[in-house]
Amino acid sequence: MSIRQLVRDTLALVLAGGQGERLYPLTRDRSKPAVPFGSAYRIIDFTLSNCINSGLRQIYVLTQYKSYSLDKHLQRGWNIFSYESGEFLYRIPPQHRVGQKWYQGTADAVYQNIYLLENRRPAHVLILSGDHIYRMDYGELLGFHAGHKGCMTLSAAVVPREGANEFGILEVDESWRVIGFEEKPENPKTIPGDPDHCLVNMGVYIFDTENLVRELSHDVKRQGSRHDFGRDIIPELVNCGEVFAYPFRDEETGVSRYWRDIGTLDSYYAANMDLVSRRPSFDLYDQSWLFRAWQPPVPPCKSVHGFTEDGTLPGTVEDSIVGGGAVVSGGHVERSLLGRGVRVNSYSKVSDSILMDNVDIGRYAKVQRAIIDKNVVIPEGMEIGFDLERDRRLFNISAGGIVVVPKDMDLSDQESPGA
Amino acid sequence: MSKVLIVDDEPHLRLLYETELRRAGFETMTACNAVQGLEFVETMKPDLVILDIRMAGMDGIEALQRILERDNSVPVVLNTAYSSYKDNYLTWAADAYVTKSSDVTELLDTVKDLVETRTTARN
Repeated sequence: MSIRQLVRDTLALVLAGGQGERLYPLTRDRSKPAVPFGSAYRIIDFTLSNCINSGLRQIYVLTQYKSYSLDKHLQRGWNIFSYESGEFLYRIPPQHRVGQKWYQGTADAVYQNIYLLENRRPAHVLILSGDHIYRMDYGELLGFHAGHKGCMTLSAAVVPREGANEFGILEVDESWRVIGFEEKPENPKTIPGDPDHCLVNMGVYIFDTENLVRELSHDVKRQGSRHDFGRDIIPELVNCGEVFAYPFRDEETGVSRYWRDIGTLDSYYAANMDLVSRRPSFDLYDQSWLFRAWQPPVPPCKSVHGFTEDGTLPGTVEDSIVGGGAVVSGGHVERSLLGRGVRVNSYSKVSDSILMDNVDIGRYAKVQRAIIDKNVVIPEGMEIGFDLERDRRLFNISAGGIVVVPKDMDLSDQESPGA
Repeated sequence: MSKVLIVDDEPHLRLLYETELRRAGFETMTACNAVQGLEFVETMKPDLVILDIRMAGMDGIEALQRILERDNSVPVVLNTAYSSYKDNYLTWAADAYVTKSSDVTELLDTVKDLVETRTTARN
């Protein structure tokens, strides 16, 4: 069967209910998939773009916690499907069709929506996480699955050993059959011959539909199950030798491809900062695989001289991504990401920071190593990221020392040290 | 003695199953609709449920999901005159699917097997 046919017979379920507690306060008012990323995007845009770039246009997005922001984003940014041609993207909040509880785990989220599969009867179901940053042609994954004929295929990435205990660790044989699986072990096993790296489950699964329904139906009766793919379904199937791992790597070089599960504020910050480096690991500018985002009608960004007491001062931007409608007027921005409608005013300086939509940096203000969420006005002369002890009284500080200013925070009553 | 709950809206079938199950050594209780059946699952703690699908009010498919939510250890045998429900994914979590017949041998054998399996698993 051709890849095109496989894709046509596949339904995508995007799990987008993640609370993302470790990304707090960015997730105070939104679920993790709705967190802004890379100036113009929400995290879910990467998975959804992968779907449409792969030709997969039958998508259910399963939402749960704090879904308003995500819902709004999907309605505004992803209303691109030709419903009369059988394409769709439907947002599915918990319907309590098969129970009265919230989703107990990832498998339960799918089981509670088994009605959708009954309704559509696709040949394959692709289960995706709405909170990962990567570029994947799901057609290749489907081709691999069809070729290996396992009950389930999961996608596998190579990650550094440090931090690998956040994932399901895989052991595979030479045919990529999974022969060992441990969910979030304290001491993750490394890849044979490579003590610095581990092979991990990316949370991207493909099942033939009937296999999926059978496994979920078994799981729902399994005593002690947490109804989770990583904790329950995969270990059970691995024991039966029914799981294959699709190596997410460059076919020519064999090098593992870029994939990030944005788990913490520091990994969120690092993944964003990578985008403004000279040669980023993740390329937003590849014309063959563009990521779509909601683009409101905003004017182009501009950098201009600001009027000052001494005449004019140039607005300068270096090594940065600047969103539409942003204006850098007499301020200086370096190694930063600016969202839409940001203003950076005279004598201010922003470095190594993420400023989300409509942030306003007052004159003489200085910001470094900070994430400033939407709509925050930084008062004239205020400094953020220079004295962490002082910042800690007002803001969240990540383990890595990044200051995070929550959305809509009113700082108008703050005295500015420089003023 | 193991307790079997029969949930069916047809009185003559409830009577038939009760008679045959008692003869086979089971204690029985009956419910004439799904809502009453769910109540009995909670209050009477049966060792197995025989559940009709097509009933007025809540049907057996929805009742199955609600039983699973209350107690996913109790075996459920879906019992219907229509084999077409076998294809419905929502019925796959049942422990068995037996098509209705005047000959209750298959149903009795299924009930005995499931009760025995459950008893063995518990011991």
